Amino acid sequence: MKPNLKLFLVLVAVALIAMPSVAQKTPSSMVAAYDSLATIILSVPQAEEALVRAMLDGHFHGAKALMKQGMYDRAAAEMALFANEGDNAVAGIRKRLVEGGHHHNAAGEEQGIYEEGYVLVTREAKKKMLASSTAMRQAKDDVAREAAWKEFAAVAEETLAE
Amino acid sequence: MQRLIVWVAVTIPAIASGSSLPYFVDIAAEAGIVAPTWCGRDDKPHIMESNGTGLGLVDYDSDGDLDLYLVNGWRLDGEEIAERGRDVLYRNEGQGQFLDVTEAAGLGSDAWGSGMATGDANGDGLVDLFVTNFGTDVLYLNQGDGTFEEHPDSPNLEGWSAAAVFFDSDGDGDEDLFVGGYIECTLEEVLMEKPSLVWEGIDVMKGPFGLEGLGNKFFRNQGGGHFEEATVEAGLEDVGLFYTFGILAADLDGDLDLDIYAANDSNPNYLYSNDGGLFQEVGLWSGAALDEGGAAQAGMGLAAGDVESDGLVDLLVTNFQQDMSTLYRNLGDMIFEDVTRSVQLGRPTFSRLSWGTTLSDLDQDGDLDIFVANGHIYPQADLVADKVGGGFRQPNLLLVDQGGTLVDVSAEAGPGLAVEEASHGLAVGDIDFDGDLDMAISNVDEPPTLLRNDTKEPGTYLLVDAPLAMRAEAVQGDDKWIRHRVIGGSFLSVNDPRLHFGLGGKRQLDSLTLVWPDGFQRRFLDVPANHALKIER
Repeated sequence: MKPNLKLFLVLVAVALIAMPSVAQKTPSSMVAAYDSLATIILSVPQAEEALVRAMLDGHFHGAKALMKQGMYDRAAAEMALFANEGDNAVAGIRKRLVEGGHHHNAAGEEQGIYEEGYVLVTREAKKKMLASSTAMRQAKDDVAREAAWKEFAAVAEETLAE
Repeated sequence: MQRLIVWVAVTIPAIASGSSLPYFVDIAAEAGIVAPTWCGRDDKPHIMESNGTGLGLVDYDSDGDLDLYLVNGWRLDGEEIAERGRDVLYRNEGQGQFLDVTEAAGLGSDAWGSGMATGDANGDGLVDLFVTNFGTDVLYLNQGDGTFEEHPDSPNLEGWSAAAVFFDSDGDGDEDLFVGGYIECTLEEVLMEKPSLVWEGIDVMKGPFGLEGLGNKFFRNQGGGHFEEATVEAGLEDVGLFYTFGILAADLDGDLDLDIYAANDSNPNYLYSNDGGLFQEVGLWSGAALDEGGAAQAGMGLAAGDVESDGLVDLLVTNFQQDMSTLYRNLGDMIFEDVTRSVQLGRPTFSRLSWGTTLSDLDQDGDLDIFVANGHIYPQADLVADKVGGGFRQPNLLLVDQGGTLVDVSAEAGPGLAVEEASHGLAVGDIDFDGDLDMAISNVDEPPTLLRNDTKEPGTYLLVDAPLAMRAEAVQGDDKWIRHRVIGGSFLSVNDPRLHFGLGGKRQLDSLTLVWPDGFQRRFLDVPANHALKIER
């Protein structure tokens, strides 16, 4: 049985048990159940944001560590994953959410600030960080690498801080 | 130094000092290739009717020439099935003639076909056919006497499967199978569908957005042609249920095993890095999943080749109209860079809806050219052709490499390039033993086009048939050409498996070196040009 169907049946059962013969006011048990459900609904976007932030944090620190180890191509790859808010597995989940009607930043998408389904990374930030990733790949010396990293880190830290 | 074991099909045309522009003539009708390949109704209300079908150049009877297999779809009329098109096998009779031998070969499926792959599924040394269908996929085992028999337990995606490739994923000597899925849908949905998306003010088919993707599957060959699904175990999971169209296998990181690249419609492309038969999806971090702006494109067809002869396989992806095809330069270590703009690929591909493609040396001047099969998915595009840059039927595109930039020579490349159809499948190979590359193209609701390469002054060439070799390197003085084994690609189609070198006007190579997956090498010295070679390990 699907979880949402289970939840529905539980709520119906609560409603039937609590239903008075003359419904002059909403039974308190139903109000309490609905209140609990509201808490869950409202916490979902926060949980989503926290999860995405944790993923991005992982890519950020991964890139930083790889930079220190001199693995610049791999660092550039981590930077690209930050810019894309994850790899193709995450993109697949994002696609599923969008097709199911969930847009974390619906208003921001309409204004062209966010790509569909993106949670934290704006279009502008993505563009800048992908450019930094490319610059990191193409950098011929430490000066160029440092410049690419600085540009990336500034945008990434701003994204994580919001 | 070792000697060549077998020399075959020697042809020595006049040796040119350079090469002229490629020149192609459509000989399909005179060659006897006349079967139309169907794809739904005239107005194409369901996205299933956008697919078109693939085709393959394959030497099924081991007589040394390339035969042609056409995958066929269905013709619909309103909510009815008007005709179940049958797959067709044409045997190459030589002298530019092909004969329909479908019935004699025990073929002729009337399933709604999509694409195909070839490989030796049961290790008997004969080439087998795998046909993807809207419905049940079928593996046809070659009996070695000109006939095929259906595998009793064929690997199968069940649904709308698209491209497929046979490849030895784990170096155990047998060929495994990877099959791409597009979307989940039923025949009833296809039959009942009405146009419901407004595009340029016109009602057209909807999708793929909003439709559920059909997961790709990997089947491991357990030996003797017995396949077991091992998608997740191998790391080849379709993590996003993306809409996969094109698939190719090639050694993209230079470690002598075959990696997988998949073109996804309207979603990021997949790149699966192979490490001893276990794969990791690295598309987004490799740089080969999105365009340079970080956008997912509508990936349709694929090609791979070593554009710069630097030993690294570059990737070409064809996309939707009003978007560019994308060329990814391989920087090594599985890192790719979108160089579409710098090689000037954007402008000539932007106004076309592009499908099958190739990176091949069509004029044999020594560098790789690009051919793209084009055609819109909406017949309604004819109503706004001026506005969007092309209608349902579109001319194909030929770009030649001139000093590192791509030049559109379609208008000068002969009457074969003047054909305008909704072209999707493309298979490339030498059908007439003259050493240059010809092309077979499938057209939606029309017979195929067969483009014979009649380039007036082609450069010299070398055709190398070296089964399972991963790459071949030809050297003459300071010049070097590298060709890699690429399986699949284009769009739902199968190319001539031989490695083709255009050598400009060079009459002889200093050396030719072949490398196999275990690192074993064979090197030949003083190899004359204008030969087709068969080299066994």
